[in-house]
Amino acid sequence: MKNDTLVSFEGVVKRFGDFVAVKRMDFEIGKGEFLALMGSSGCGKTTTLRMLAGLEAPSEGMIRLSGKPINDLPTWSRDTPMVWQSLALFPFLNVVENVEFALKMRGVGKAERRRRAEQWLDRMQISEFAGRNISQLSGGQRQRVALARSLVVEPEILLLDEPLSALDAALKVRMQSVLKNLQRETGITFVYVTHSQSEAFSMADRVVIMSRGQIEQIGTPQEIYRTPRTRFVADFLGSSNIFTGKVTASDDGGVVLDTASGPLRLKSDERHVVTPGQTATLTVLDTRTNLAVTKPDGPVNAIPVRMIGEEFIGATATIYLETGTGQEIRVQKSHEELAGIPLEIGQELFAWWAHTDGHLVTED
Amino acid sequence: MRRPLTLYGLTFSLPLLIWQLLFFVFPLVFLVALSFWTVKNFRMQPDFDTVNWVTIYGRSVFWQAYGTTLAMAAFAAALVSVLAFPCAYAIAFKLSETARRWAVFLMVIPFFTSYLVRVYSWQIFLSDAGIINVMLGWIGLGPYGLLNTVGATMIGYLTLTFPLVVLLQLFSLVFIDRTLVEAAHNLRCGRLRTVFEVIIPSARVGLVIAALFAFILCFGDFVSPIYLGGGDPTTLSILITDTTKSGQQWPRAAVIALTMIGTLLVVAFAAVRFAYKGRTK
Repeated sequence: MKNDTLVSFEGVVKRFGDFVAVKRMDFEIGKGEFLALMGSSGCGKTTTLRMLAGLEAPSEGMIRLSGKPINDLPTWSRDTPMVWQSLALFPFLNVVENVEFALKMRGVGKAERRRRAEQWLDRMQISEFAGRNISQLSGGQRQRVALARSLVVEPEILLLDEPLSALDAALKVRMQSVLKNLQRETGITFVYVTHSQSEAFSMADRVVIMSRGQIEQIGTPQEIYRTPRTRFVADFLGSSNIFTGKVTASDDGGVVLDTASGPLRLKSDERHVVTPGQTATLTVLDTRTNLAVTKPDGPVNAIPVRMIGEEFIGATATIYLETGTGQEIRVQKSHEELAGIPLEIGQELFAWWAHTDGHLVTED
Repeated sequence: MRRPLTLYGLTFSLPLLIWQLLFFVFPLVFLVALSFWTVKNFRMQPDFDTVNWVTIYGRSVFWQAYGTTLAMAAFAAALVSVLAFPCAYAIAFKLSETARRWAVFLMVIPFFTSYLVRVYSWQIFLSDAGIINVMLGWIGLGPYGLLNTVGATMIGYLTLTFPLVVLLQLFSLVFIDRTLVEAAHNLRCGRLRTVFEVIIPSARVGLVIAALFAFILCFGDFVSPIYLGGGDPTTLSILITDTTKSGQQWPRAAVIALTMIGTLLVVAFAAVRFAYKGRTK
């Protein structure tokens, strides 16, 4: 991917007065990649996107597009079309005129731009609405017009700022597959800002998780899901059980943490080197955490827990449990995997996981 | 959906309704009736005679005044719209929130003083021995006949309409969705082009209404054409006063007034239609 870098952020900082919206971003976006910028509101993801679009100027650092610095290039001299959260369709133009807009700005002739706009309307399956007013369209149709308007110039990169947030759940899922297919077919690089984990993880090739103006982790959805790098990411994804304790041993044999739930062992990790005496945090996925009636043997961590609740969604059950010290942990399993375990509120059980399933994360 | 009239609703709407009946509908009906009366020996008498309509519409003086008034009001409306737009644009897009409030306040101040007073003070500037000619005299120019010209009338019209047009334009500009402007920039529309491609179309209703107000005010204005334009060329408002003065010809004046009202109705209707053209709810 390194040879195929389309965009690079090099030490980019953005300040608004005293407020630092983005603190030193260093990352690259590959050609043809679907990259999601994810984080809660105010984390700097939209500011990052707007700097790429040229709607905000970085306070420090350099943004390159295809190797060329674009810091000083105004947005109207870049080819970085964006799809807004509000869509920002022009209400005084009809559907086909909206799509033609960017071509008109580039001086494409009347007949040619009409032809190209109609091609994109066709591709987005909204050609029957070409002559309509924007106000006469449904949310999903407007979405498609906004996409067609940005894509009609066939850019190298498309920026999307939470474009699906106004849609209802069913439509959201449909538009996700439309977007993913569109990205795959056109090979255009998509940079997609969202606060929704399901949107980011279902569409993106790589996800950038941001918090308070910084990158917490970059990786494929699987990497991030399986091994969250920081405490923030583990908390944000909400799919891990988290234990904090003092390191009592750290060698080739592994790391031992002395937590409120007893000593927990895990394999050492070259990315998170810890020394005895320091505090460290361990995460284990709720799907990798198991339940047993009797304390299991072998290279596992097992802690006594009491069941406090359960939730069934389809074939998966989420069991909520409480440790002796009152910490809540979760176990997510299929019904088959839970066969033979008495699931009653108040039931005393053991939650256990293999030593190899625990990971260290960085504390913030 | 039509809802039945309730006593509650009537309580609030009735005073206005009565007001409108008393001071708009009745006088208008009377004006229409008056236009068919006749004048004999400097006395009006109720009648039903189309002679006033035939006389007025048969006079080239009337049509000349009509054309002049229409052209001058239309030109003033266009001129004030063009001059006010950069001002309204700067207030809406370039000023901070606080500065914008001050600018709105400053635009309201002209309404504190009577229009007539403001027109008189223009005379002090424009007359042959006025401020402008004296200052030009210092550098050896002039004096120029500035007063009693069409240009002076235009200055009067601008005095009358400029603050109002700026305010009306401003209120339509501040409600433009800023992301539309960003979206246009993002789609390679430069700054100046965005004004024509996005901002003016977005604010179209407000801009047309502002120009319409300017047209209406100038079309019926009597003060500027007489005190700054010197009554030459004759506008319809001047023609009305002349007609009433010469031989008690109130019925003929009524014909002119009704023609003006009719013209304004047509123009207003056309302007509103143009403003909302291509828009659906």
